[in-house]
Amino acid sequence: MAAPLHSSLERRYARLGLLLIAPTVLIFCAVIVYPLVSAIYLSLFRVFTPTLESSWVGLSNYRELLASGLFWKALWNTLVWTAGTLTLQIVLGIGMALVLHQNIWFRSLARSLILFPYFISTVVAVLVWKWVFNDLYGILNHLLMQSGIISMPIDYLGSMPNAMISVILVGAWKYFPFVVIAVLARLQTIPEPLYEAARIDGAGPIARFFDVTLPQLRDVLVVIVMLRAIWDFKEFDLIWLLTGGGPSSSTETLPIVVYRQAFALNQMGMAAAWAVSMMAILLVFMIVYIRRTREKGPA
Amino acid sequence: MMRKYLGPVALNLFAWTTIIAVAFPLFWMLVTSVKPQSELFRRPPTMLPESWTLEHYWHLLTQTNFLVYFRNSVMLSTVTTLLVVTVATLGAYSLVRFRYRGRESLAFLVLFTYLLPSVVLIIPLYLMLVSLGLSNTLFSLVIAYTTFALPYALWLMRSFMAGVPDDLEYAAMVDGASRMGAFVDVILPQLLPGIISTALFTFILSWNEYLYALVLVNSDGARPLTTGVMNMLISSFNIEWSLLMAASVMMSVPLIIVFAFLQSYLTRGFGAGAVKG
Repeated sequence: MAAPLHSSLERRYARLGLLLIAPTVLIFCAVIVYPLVSAIYLSLFRVFTPTLESSWVGLSNYRELLASGLFWKALWNTLVWTAGTLTLQIVLGIGMALVLHQNIWFRSLARSLILFPYFISTVVAVLVWKWVFNDLYGILNHLLMQSGIISMPIDYLGSMPNAMISVILVGAWKYFPFVVIAVLARLQTIPEPLYEAARIDGAGPIARFFDVTLPQLRDVLVVIVMLRAIWDFKEFDLIWLLTGGGPSSSTETLPIVVYRQAFALNQMGMAAAWAVSMMAILLVFMIVYIRRTREKGPA
Repeated sequence: MMRKYLGPVALNLFAWTTIIAVAFPLFWMLVTSVKPQSELFRRPPTMLPESWTLEHYWHLLTQTNFLVYFRNSVMLSTVTTLLVVTVATLGAYSLVRFRYRGRESLAFLVLFTYLLPSVVLIIPLYLMLVSLGLSNTLFSLVIAYTTFALPYALWLMRSFMAGVPDDLEYAAMVDGASRMGAFVDVILPQLLPGIISTALFTFILSWNEYLYALVLVNSDGARPLTTGVMNMLISSFNIEWSLLMAASVMMSVPLIIVFAFLQSYLTRGFGAGAVKG
């Protein structure tokens, strides 16, 4: 008697569970799964955006794309941007986390100030930096010239390699707080006896960092690097707003090409092919990250 | 005696020099927004304004569309947040506490979409919303924003939900509460900090979104702040930096409020979602 009752309750619960997840599933299907599938489908057509006239072209969008130097150029730019900004984010992030972990004056104010760039809108960040970078009245050129580091104003966004360096720097400024917070949270859980032991063994601060802190941070750093690599790779707003991909497409990354193909050159099908190719590359990172997360189990 | 104090002082000097350098662009934004036009282009520039003025803010609020954009952003972010947090709370409860087929694959799909680039979805979404006749409306942006906000919120809520002990729910059910009754009476109160944290993150994400707004809306009536303010930059004949800096400060006001009063919720969200996950 007890067993069937139990299983009927279980079935009722399963039904309740499905009912609760139903809104999520419906929304996912409508705004994520369906668009994702139709992006792949769309990439097999040639579409003219204003009229939406389309014709089947099979894989020729992909053939054209892979044969053009533009794809490899954009991929290269994306990799340069991602590698550059990610490295800076990690180095600055770890450094700042170590500093904020110390007992410095006004620590919570310091933490707020460091966190702020991460949470402001990219639009705000870009406007502020454009004003700082301004070639005639920008404060940065003024400060650098006053201190004698440069003798002529620098054109930060209009020439190469300055534009790429500037974009990488602003990206590092905007996103390194993410690394700070993540690393700081982990630092606070490293057991103090480990440091005591190292100190007794005669390890100086630098040796302690490499022998105790860094190995303890390893796991969280792997996760941070993967997450940030994915997010930096697909970054659109920051680069688009700062340089628009210029000068002459030298900071044009893959997401920017997708946008331009679709909404400036009016080639929706081609744009979809670019987007799908970009996603295929990202998929490698995503699968590595997801694998890792599932192995470790949810938080 | 000297040595004892020298170390900490050097550390503090180094720390605060770096912190000030990081925060400097934001300080400069604030300073520029309150400088009178005549002082703005003076050489050498004044680090602190010699005379303060709020004329740029006044100009922004009375002679531009800023307030319309602001209202749009508030509505858009509020509606998106309410929708997404409600759906995600129920969804996360289901994903964590119920057993049924397909649950694991669904959790996998959530994580996958959380990492998905917007530029892949934007083309089909654009076509879909145009064919539904929804382009140029705030509602189209609410739909578009759920594509990134819902996976994000679900992922966060899932990890908060996993932190609520099972026993509480069972205890309430032994006392005669129904499953949903136990959810409302026992789980929701426990989950409240997580919900607040998720809501804040969702709100900030929506408030800051740019790409979907750029593609889906091109009329001032439905433009949110991000594209609206950028439009002020592009469409003006000569760039009025102090006006743009005033707009940037105003745009960051909700964030400053969150920072001042609710910062612990932000740090909590960090711990729960992004990194541990």
